[in-house]
Formats: sequence, structure tokens, C-alpha cells
Amino acid sequence: MYSLARLPRSQPLLKNVIKRSVSSSTAQPASAGGVSVIGFENKGPASTSSLTVAVKAGSRYESIPGVAHVLKNFAFKATSSASSLRTARETELYGGVLSASLTREHLFLSAEFLRGDEEHFLSVLASVLSSSQFYPHELNELVLPVVESEAIQAQSTPAALALDIAHTLAFRKGLGNSLYASPNYPVTIEDVKSYAQTAFAKSNISVIGTGVSTESLSKAVSSAFGSGSSAAGSGLSGGATKYFGGESRVPLDIHAPATALPTVVVAFGSSSPATPDLKVLKELLGGESSLKWTPGTSPLSQAAAKIPGASAKAFLLPYSDASLFGVVITAPTSPQAKTLATEVVSIIKSAGKGSKDEEVKRAIAKATFSDAVGSETLEGLVSSVGPALFAGGTIKSESFSSVSASSISKAAAELLKAKPTVVSIGNVSVLPYADELGL
Amino acid sequence: MPTIDKMIFGNGPLGPSLAPWIRQRPTLQKFWARWSNWYKNAAGYRQKGYLYDDLIVEENPTVQKAISRLPANQSYDRVFRMRRGLIQSMLHTPLPKEQWTKAEADERYLTPLIEQVVAEEKEREEWDTMVVERLKQRKEGKKNIFG
Repeated sequence: MYSLARLPRSQPLLKNVIKRSVSSSTAQPASAGGVSVIGFENKGPASTSSLTVAVKAGSRYESIPGVAHVLKNFAFKATSSASSLRTARETELYGGVLSASLTREHLFLSAEFLRGDEEHFLSVLASVLSSSQFYPHELNELVLPVVESEAIQAQSTPAALALDIAHTLAFRKGLGNSLYASPNYPVTIEDVKSYAQTAFAKSNISVIGTGVSTESLSKAVSSAFGSGSSAAGSGLSGGATKYFGGESRVPLDIHAPATALPTVVVAFGSSSPATPDLKVLKELLGGESSLKWTPGTSPLSQAAAKIPGASAKAFLLPYSDASLFGVVITAPTSPQAKTLATEVVSIIKSAGKGSKDEEVKRAIAKATFSDAVGSETLEGLVSSVGPALFAGGTIKSESFSSVSASSISKAAAELLKAKPTVVSIGNVSVLPYADELGL
Repeated sequence: MPTIDKMIFGNGPLGPSLAPWIRQRPTLQKFWARWSNWYKNAAGYRQKGYLYDDLIVEENPTVQKAISRLPANQSYDRVFRMRRGLIQSMLHTPLPKEQWTKAEADERYLTPLIEQVVAEEKEREEWDTMVVERLKQRKEGKKNIFG
């Protein structure tokens, strides 16, 4: 019954998918009453749409430590038109999902829903931006417990904690601000209110839609945000980013869960945005296997495969005016982490030197794929399109045509000139210092 | 203004009160305020330094939640008044006259918070017992703003 004979009937569907990928690559932003707007029309079988408001209000712009984290959790609470309970229950009835996420540069408020419910969810997002009430009792009863648990969760995850500390060491202020609120710096309701007021200025937000065209989205946004949203303001501004680097050693809490492994992060930053060369370098060092049950062929995963349960993964965190490139090393015990870290540092030092053409080609293919596949999920799409909208540039996929073995080795040499950022979490009497690693 | 049955049978922990109805009628209120003030002075709580809202029965979750929403200074003052009042009760004496609660200081600091909590509980109950109905008119009149 389920034979190949059925295949021709499903071919139109396949065509739709191809059409969809073509049409979404040509979407261009428009302006709707001061708010930049972009819609990706997927003509495929998907019957869901989504709306995301990207706000330039990440932790780098915060004036009081943790206020961005608190504001993120204040999303979809009481507004002048609906209580938080009403918003939640109505969303359930419509079969939608409301979510808020925070990065170092942006705050994303997303609504995913069935096609046809755009009107309702656009008004929900507009009222969050324009008329959130910021009740003190909601801060204490609904927001702070979640903020606290998210902060504790991050504290007890060595990789998240290490990256947070690495940012502080690397950039100190601005991008170096922690993503999480801290009990040492209480955030009051007045702080949240004043931060939200500047953050939700029209020049500071942009709207990204999927399943809608840019024209219809910009029409709807200019009517929904027209009167409601706060007036045009200067928005938030952070200072220029400078890279510093440094070293930090944190003992792993004895009460940490069994999944918390000793972690070492070795990172190099620069105060210029990520280049295609760095993206390819990340794939060249690798650490992630593209095939199940095998360690993979990249140098980092080969090194990590020698220790059972260990991993070494390269990462590249791109920001609008800086980037952080590095490797996260975890191992079951601190001595093993030390061994692996020493090996990883020697790999980083020789990165890009004498790599074969086929390796580079493989890395370029991988980088192209991961760049493209990132925009398939809402989260990935929003995190790549949001910054581009604020930069005022066009939305296009990264071109890796200029990357070659020599350009990679040049980029790597440039990167390694900077002072390294080293964070070790685990048994600090065993874990090596940066100079012991040869950095 | 609460509904008439709420005013007669009580609005949650707040008890029956025709005050909202009276407050909307200025002539009646002017007449009534004299009696109300006389009653409050005669009740004796002002002589022990309490405010009217200190007398609301607090042993229920609604009022407990409202008390938890008080600003820190009001919450502290409330405890202070209760301790002072308790001591006066044990001594069977009123406070010195200059420490009695003045009529203008006798503000309803807790009632708005209790009303807020009661309204929240009511809303939650409404959503919990809600029945979803498909409205035919809505489907026809529904406009797709992106259409």
C-alpha cells in the first residue's frame, strides 16, 4: 500500500518546499511607521505563522545589573487590556505559544500560532510593548522566582557559567554584562519600568514574521503599533566594545548535580564582527560529529575521543561589533580536563596552519550548511535576521567564496595575537593556569 | 462598585458593606459620614492606635496574599500597631490621647489590595469554568488582516 507508486502524488508538495526556500531568500525589510519589519512567506504546507518582536535591549545595554533578565521574564504579564492569566488562557485557546528569550544584544518576544490568528497575537505583542503594567506584586510573585531559578540553573551548569564569566573577562562592560540577574544586585520595579520605557521605543524594535508577506505585515504593524507603542525615542545605547581577556578559576560546587563536569573555556575575542573565515575555522576545528556513534574526523573531536565522556567543542559567538571564538572543554574529572585542555591549546595554536585543501573544503561546506540550516528554526532565523534588521543591512546568506586555506590561517594568526580568555571550573588545585597551558 | 448581592452578603473576606453605594451619592454620604465617624470612635479601636483595616480578619489565604503585597513600610507599621494595641489590651487602658488614631489618618490601606486579590481569584475561577463555544457570526465576520 505504501509503495513508491504514491510518490508522484506528493510531488507538488515537494515543489512547494522548493518554492518556499526560494521566496524566503528574497525577502527584504520594510519600514512601518518607524519600526523595521520583515516577513518570510513560506508557501509550503505549514499552517503556522509566527511573529517576533526583536528589541535591542539585551544585557549589554542594561544600566542596572540583571534588569534585562527581569524585563525578559516580565513579558506577557498584565497589560492595560489583559491580565497575565487572561493572556495565557487566551493563547491556550488559540493554540499558540508565547515565548521570550534574551541574548546579550537582543530581547525577542515571540508568538507562534495557527494561520488566521494574526490579529489577536499582533495585538498581544503590541500591548506588551505599549501598556505593560509592571505591578510590584507580579515582580515578587511571578517574575523573581523564575528569574532566580534561571540564574541558579545557569550557575549549576558549568558550560553556561564559564561562558558568562568568559564574556565578563573578555569585554568587561557592555557585552561583558552577565545574562542573568544576581541576588547581589536587587532589581526594583522602578528600574524595570524605566528600562522598558527606553527599550520599547519605536526606533529600538523590529518585527519579524514568518508565514506572512512583508507588505501585509508592515501594514498590520503600522496600524497595531501606530498609536499604542511608545513614542519614538533614542532607545538604548551601549559603549563601543573593547576586548580585554584574562583568567578566572572557579571551584565546582560540591552540591552541583552529577551532570556538572569540570569545564575549561579557552577563548579569543576581537572587537570586530565575525568574518566568514572564523566561521569556517570553527568548523575546521570542529568538535561536533556529523555522524552518530563516531567521534568525527575534526582535530578537536579526535582529541576528545581519547578520554571517554569528554568533549571539546569550538564555538563562535558573533555580535554586532565583536566576536568571541573559542573552545569549551569538558571532562569527567579535573585531571582529565587538564590533559585535554593542554592538547586543545596545542591544536588551537596550530589552527589553520598546514590544513589540507580537502579539509578546508569540508569545513566550508559544513559552515555553509549550518548557516543555512540555522534559519530553518524560528530561534535561528530570528537570531540571524534580528541583528541584520538593526544594522539596516539586507538579509542574505553568508558567502564563503573568499575563504581559502591561506585566509583561514591569516585569520587564526590574527585572532591568536590577542590575550587569551581562560575560565576553568572544577578542582582548581588541579586545573592548569593559562601560562601552564602554554598561552 | 460591587454588585448589590456582594454589598449585602459580603465580597469575599471584606464582608457586607453598602459604603460603595453610599459613596456614589454625595448628599447621603455627607449625612452618613457623621454617623460613620461617631461609630468608628465609639468602637474603640482608634483609642488603641489601630487603623480600621487592621481589624479585617486575616486568617484566610486571600487576606494573607493581600498582606504579602503591602509595601515594606506599611507592613512594618501594621505589625507595630498590632503589638502596641496588644499591650494596651492587656493593660486594659487606652493610649495617651495624642497617640489615638486621627480620623484623617485612618485610611483603608489594605482594602484595595484585598479587592485586587478577590478580583484575581474571580477571574481565575471564570477561566477555570469557561465553556468554549463556536460563534457562527464570528467566523463570517472574521477578517484576516494579512489577507
